[in-house]
This record gives sequence, structure tokens and C-alpha cells, in this order.
Amino acid sequence: MKLLRNKSGQITLFIIIALVIVGLAVLFYLFFPKIQVAFGLTPKNPQAFMQNCLEDDLQNSANKLSLQGGSLEPQLYLLYESNKIEYLCYQEEYYLPCIVQQPMLKTHIEKEIKTAVREKVGECLDDLEKTFEARGYSVSLSNGEYQVELLPGIIEVSFSNVLTLTQGEEREVYGSADNPQKKIRVLLHNNIYELISIANSIINWESNYGDSETTIYMNYYHDLKVEKYKQGDGSKIYILTDRIKGDKFQFAVRSVAWPPGI
Amino acid sequence: MNVNEIGKKMKMKKRFNRDKLNAKSSGLIILTALPVLLFIILTIFTLTILSINLITAQTEASAVSTSYCCEKTISGAWCQNAPKESCDETNGLRINPSSCEATSYCKKGYCYDSKEGTCMENAPQKVCELEGGTWTEDTGETPPQCELRCCLIGDQAAFVTPVRCKKLSSLYSLETDFRSDITNEVQCIASASSDVKGACVFEENFETTCRLLTKKECQSFKENYEGNQTKVNFHEGFLCSAEELATNCGPTEETKCIEGKDEVYLVDSCGNLANVYDADRIKDTNYWTKIYDKVDSCGYGKSNGDSKSCGNCDYYLGSTCRAYEVSKDKARPSYGDNICRNLACEYNGQKYEHGETWCASNTKGGIGKESVGGKDFRLVCYNNEVSVEPCAEFKQQLCLQSDVNGFSSAACRQNIWQDCFVQTTQGDCENSDKRDCKWIEGASLANPQEGSLSNQGTTQPFKGTEEDKTAGTNSITGQAIFGGIFGGDDSSKDNEDNKNKGACLPLFPPGYDFWNPNGGDAESFCSMADSQCIVKYQKTALGEKECIENCECLDDSWIDDKMEVCVAIGDCGDKVNFVGKAGYDEGYSTKLKKYEPEETSSKK
Repeated sequence: MKLLRNKSGQITLFIIIALVIVGLAVLFYLFFPKIQVAFGLTPKNPQAFMQNCLEDDLQNSANKLSLQGGSLEPQLYLLYESNKIEYLCYQEEYYLPCIVQQPMLKTHIEKEIKTAVREKVGECLDDLEKTFEARGYSVSLSNGEYQVELLPGIIEVSFSNVLTLTQGEEREVYGSADNPQKKIRVLLHNNIYELISIANSIINWESNYGDSETTIYMNYYHDLKVEKYKQGDGSKIYILTDRIKGDKFQFAVRSVAWPPGI
Repeated sequence: MNVNEIGKKMKMKKRFNRDKLNAKSSGLIILTALPVLLFIILTIFTLTILSINLITAQTEASAVSTSYCCEKTISGAWCQNAPKESCDETNGLRINPSSCEATSYCKKGYCYDSKEGTCMENAPQKVCELEGGTWTEDTGETPPQCELRCCLIGDQAAFVTPVRCKKLSSLYSLETDFRSDITNEVQCIASASSDVKGACVFEENFETTCRLLTKKECQSFKENYEGNQTKVNFHEGFLCSAEELATNCGPTEETKCIEGKDEVYLVDSCGNLANVYDADRIKDTNYWTKIYDKVDSCGYGKSNGDSKSCGNCDYYLGSTCRAYEVSKDKARPSYGDNICRNLACEYNGQKYEHGETWCASNTKGGIGKESVGGKDFRLVCYNNEVSVEPCAEFKQQLCLQSDVNGFSSAACRQNIWQDCFVQTTQGDCENSDKRDCKWIEGASLANPQEGSLSNQGTTQPFKGTEEDKTAGTNSITGQAIFGGIFGGDDSSKDNEDNKNKGACLPLFPPGYDFWNPNGGDAESFCSMADSQCIVKYQKTALGEKECIENCECLDDSWIDDKMEVCVAIGDCGDKVNFVGKAGYDEGYSTKLKKYEPEETSSKK
């Protein structure tokens, strides 16, 4: 009898603990930015805050685009190892060289990244305001645009918003044209810029000659790995890998395909 | 002499039922290859007519269906010749019943990215302009903005457009020299020269310190130096660790790998690079004083892979600087944590040098073996890794390999078998500059399958050669050599004519999509191996039958000869697949049939 009473007591205790945990979780979710500030978890600098907020999404978008030939939702693609790989040069007929499908690949990828992070950018800017208000700043964030640019070794997201933080006599301005050092920007180390340059060269070869020689690129760029996999329908998958950093870019091509027989 | 029987043989076999061939009783022998089995046997002439009509019909249908130029297809491809139903006509996208080359909207041209200064050839106008590019029609001449010239950037060179050169300058914050007089890439790369390097000595925090810079860099540093500029001095050819410079930089036992360089470098105590790592000279004061060229460093001209004492790695000889790893490197460097990593590969127990490429096959018997589904591969060894590049399916490409001093180079190249069947002489057939064919003396082919050889429209690359043209119209259809049972009134005579000639067949038999119910080439090609033989018997005085004509057709060797032709045509006859398994059927059949006079007359 005593054992039973003890048991029911334990259950009640567990239920109370569970309710407390759930309550805390709800509170944590509702006041997350303020809690972060209170515990000193958020970066003190707006630039670092944005970097911290956006980096993962930027990384995920870059990875997805790299595996899909530079498009978030490829329309003309080849399914390869569960990835929809976009054709960057395509010819439906046999024997003929391909037609370039993405002649402005860099611009296209920049646009795609911009689209992919749009929602998160909005969230991050909102959180930025809330976080610094929670720290006791008077926050003024102007409307602005953001740009994505692929540069050697990095992907840069730069913001044209001007953020003014005021606390008593102290006033800090970020994003002003007068002070480029304090421009709000997010940087991601990624070699996609270099890899798409190689991809463009391969596409040029494919559209002119119907094939490309992978070893030429590996001879010239010592840390580059170029793989070419021919498929049954005459398509080819190219996988470009930076051996040091591990960054990848893969795309499909169908050029001078040969049918079975004649 | 009576003509008792006619022997008809169509297609051949290895595992032939020998009992059937021991034709003591008269009969008609028919061998039939799998893809055409009963169809051809039953209505041989009808088949010919039907097949030609069928092919013609298909060709016409094909011509009609592929004659539209879709600005965009439903599948999303820009500027493709495709059937009308494949074209996307929404959002004002255009279609035209002509080839894309002939349309205004799908002409190919140069797409210029003015921001990057790059050009992409063979781009349609709309695709280019949608993404903000500037399109110029390809008139055979390169537009001025796309002309490549030499851009010297630092100690490197790039063969790029003028705008690209400026862009590179801004991207890498380096001065560039655009040499429009250099119009050749090789010359451009050769003209790249590095600026002289040396110790740039200056004062910092009351200490004399140093950086290893080029003369220009040191000059620039001096101009921006906040202290007394006279205290910034450049010492050409000296290392920062040189004792006579009296800087706070000294020798260490540390090494470093540098991006863009292959060698392992020593590092001084200020973090500046010194000479190439050489364990024997690490305590040598001279080696820490002056800059030594790569050619004057240890082990020059050798790979130095896995060397624990020398860091003069050479990528082209098979090594490059990497951080030492127990699992990857055979020796631990005597000093520092970096080593010349040996980039060679091991594959199936065999060692391959970095940069070697070689051939392999998925076929059980190896490269060149005739098996269904067999494919060649090129294997590539770079940076310790072997990557596999498949050649084209259906044996449309072959892997060729050559070895020079034990270093192998391989490539997938086209299997040029397509016009073998229309070659009429051994010389043309075995002209290896033009095609991959072999001549089989005494062999003959049946139906030329003219449709399959000539119905490919404008895109068919093999439309006959000069020799073919001189052979008249027959050369297109192959009648000159195929002749045979479909061609004339006296089929046996045609066979007889061909018997002493020969047939031109693929050296590397191609694969066919024989499983394709919608008209693959297997049936038409394999049927070329169909064959018949009329065997004549005479009754002896004792009433026994005695073979008097074409008696060799009753021998096993006749079957073997025909099989040789059959398997050379492609995926025909008695073959196994690439894993060594035989098909569900024999791949051919034979029939013996008694001569029927009315049959002969109907043929005629």
C-alpha cells in the first residue's frame, strides 16, 4: 500500500516537472532574442549578429545550389543520386553539340541564392532590431535591399540598410556609405566562384566540340578534381570538387550524344 | 540430276542442335537470329517491303515531328528542334516549323557579361538577355568585347578580355598589365614573370623586423609606412633570417604549405617563408641567408614524394605539399609537419603514377570482348585518387590506351563502325583513319537494311564516303555487297557472287537497344546476318541421296562462319552479357525445309 502511494507521488512529481519544462520551453521560444541577450549569447556587433543569423541558411543554399547545377528548382534536369542536376548545356538531338542553357551562370546563381535566403534575411533584420532594443538601444533601421555576390573564395551578402544604434550620448551607424568598414555584410567561405569558372570553360568546350578533357583542368588547377560520368542517354554529369576545402559543384550536359545503333 | 531439296539457313549458332545438321534426310535448313525469328521466316519478301515502308514511314514521321524549332520546350530546354507537341507555347514563346539555325530567335551567339568581362559562346539570345547579358550574333568573327588578350597579374598571366583583366585586378587587388599585342595563350603564360623578391626590413615597436616581399610590394609598403620611411629598406635576394640584416627573424624547424605552390617551405621565426625545406641544410646559415631557386634546391627534377628530408615537390612529377598524415604518407618528415605527398594511386593491386590514365572494361573477359551491355571505362589517377570515366554506352566509344616508358595514357574515342557495311573493298574497309572495320574474306551479308543506314536525316554523320559515292546508288543501300536473297531474281546466284568477295564489319561490334519495342536498330542490323543455303541432292542408282551442291552448308563450319559475321554486326546471335550470362533464347535459329517448287516460283 505504501509502495503504491509512493508510486503515485512519483508520477505527480514527474508530471509537475514535465509541465515546468514545457512552460520554460514556451517562454524560451516567445522571448528567445531577449533571453539570448540576457545570457550574453548574441554577438554584440550588428555585423557579427547578421553573420551568425544568416550563415547557416546561406551555407545550406550554397550547398543545395552546388549539387543541383546552380538552380533551386531545376526545370531541365537529370536525376543523379537523388539530386536533380540541371543541364547547363543541352541538345535533345543526337550527334549535335549542345546549346548553352545558362550563359550567365554566376548571375543566375547569385539570383538563386538571393531568393533562397530572402525569408531568413527578413527574420534576421527583425531579430537584429529586437535584440538591440532589448539591450537598451534605440534602434533605427532604414529600408534597404540586399545583394548577393560570388567572389573568389567567398559568397558575400551585403545590405544597403542603414542601422543606427543610440544609447544615451553614444551613437553608432552601420551601413552608411561614408563608412564602408561598418557596412552590414555576411560572408561565407566557399569556392563556388572558382568552380563555376571551370564549369563555364567545360560548357564552352562541350558546346563547341561535344566533349571536354578533364585532366587539362586537373593539370592546371592542382587542388581541383574533375569527374565526368556518362549516362546511358548520352548525358554527362560533371562533378567539380575543391580537394582542399571540399566545395563541390555538379552539373549536367548533353552534347553530341550517340544513339544505340545509328 | 534432280533437284531434290533446297536448304535454307538463316542465322547461326554455336550451341546448334547438331542432330538437325546431320541432315541425312533431305530438308530445308533455316537459321534465324533472335530479333527477327519467325517474322522473317514466314514472309521474307513481305518483310523486306514492309520494313522499307516502315522505315520510310518512320523517317517521314520523324522528319515532320522534329522539324519545329521550339524557343523553349515543355521540359525547359531552350532552342531545341523537337516535335511540335514538345514545344512550350505559353508566355509568348515562339515556335517555327524549321530548324533553329534558320530562325531569328534561336540563332547562336556570344553572351557577354559586362560585369565579369566574360563571354559564353553558343548561347541563344533570349536566355542571355533574360539574365542581363549582352548578346551578339555569331557571324564567324569574335566580337571585340570577347577577344582574348594577355593579362599579366602579379607573377601570373591570364588570357582574358580587357574588362576581365580589370575585374581580376579589382578582385585580387593586384596591378595588372593588359598586353593586347599578345594574341596567343601559350605566349601569354610564358610572358608571366615574377617580380624579384627580397627582405623588406623596417622598424616596428622599436625592433628591426622584416617581411619577405617583392620589390614593388616593399616600395608600396614604404610609401604607406607611418614611421620614418628611410628605415624601410629592400634587400633583393635576401631572406629575412639573414644574420647580416640583424632583424628579429631567425631560423626555425617549422615548415609550411602555400596555396598555389607545390613545395614545402621553411618558415622563419617571424612567419616569413624561407627556402624549400631541406633537412640537410636546415642548420646551414647560408641557406637561411639567400633565396635559392627551385632548381638549386634539393632533389630538383625528382618527385621527392614521401621524402622525409626534401620538400622540393613537383606536381607534374607526382608530389605536392601536404600536412603529414600517418595513414597517407610513408615517411615522417625529419622537421616540421609537412611533406611532399606522393600522389600516385593504387588500383586493383597495381600502382599508377599521378596523371596516368588507363582503360578498363566491365566485360568479364576484359577490353574488346564482345558482350552485350559491355562498356569501356577510362580510369584517371590524380592526387592519390582514382576516378572512373565511363565511355559512351552501346560501345559507341572505345577506350584506347598507349604506354610510353611505363606511363599510360588513355582516352575514350568514337567507335566509327557506322559505315562499315557499305564498304565494298578491303582497302576502304580497313582504312583505320576513317573507320573501325574489319574485312571478312568470303563472308556475305544479307539485307542491306537501307533504311537503317540512310534514314537518319540531316543529323546522321555518316552519309557515305567518297568510295561509297563512286559505287553508285548501291553504295548507299549497300546493295553492292549485300545483294543476296532480297535483291534479284536469282538469289542463289547473288550469294554465289558474294561468296568469294567478303564483307566489311565493325571491328568492335556496337550495342543495340534490342529491348526497345519502338524500333531500335537491333532487328534491322542483326537481320543482315540472315543466310540461306540451297543444298542439292541426287538419287544414286541404289536409290540413296547423295549431296552434289553446297554440301559444305551441312557442315558445322558453315554455322561457325556465319556466326562470326553475326556477332561482328553487333548485339546479335549467340552472345553472353557483360556479366557472362547467356540470354533467355539461343539468339538464332536454324530450319531445314524441303524444297517446294511453288515456293520457288512464287519468289520469282
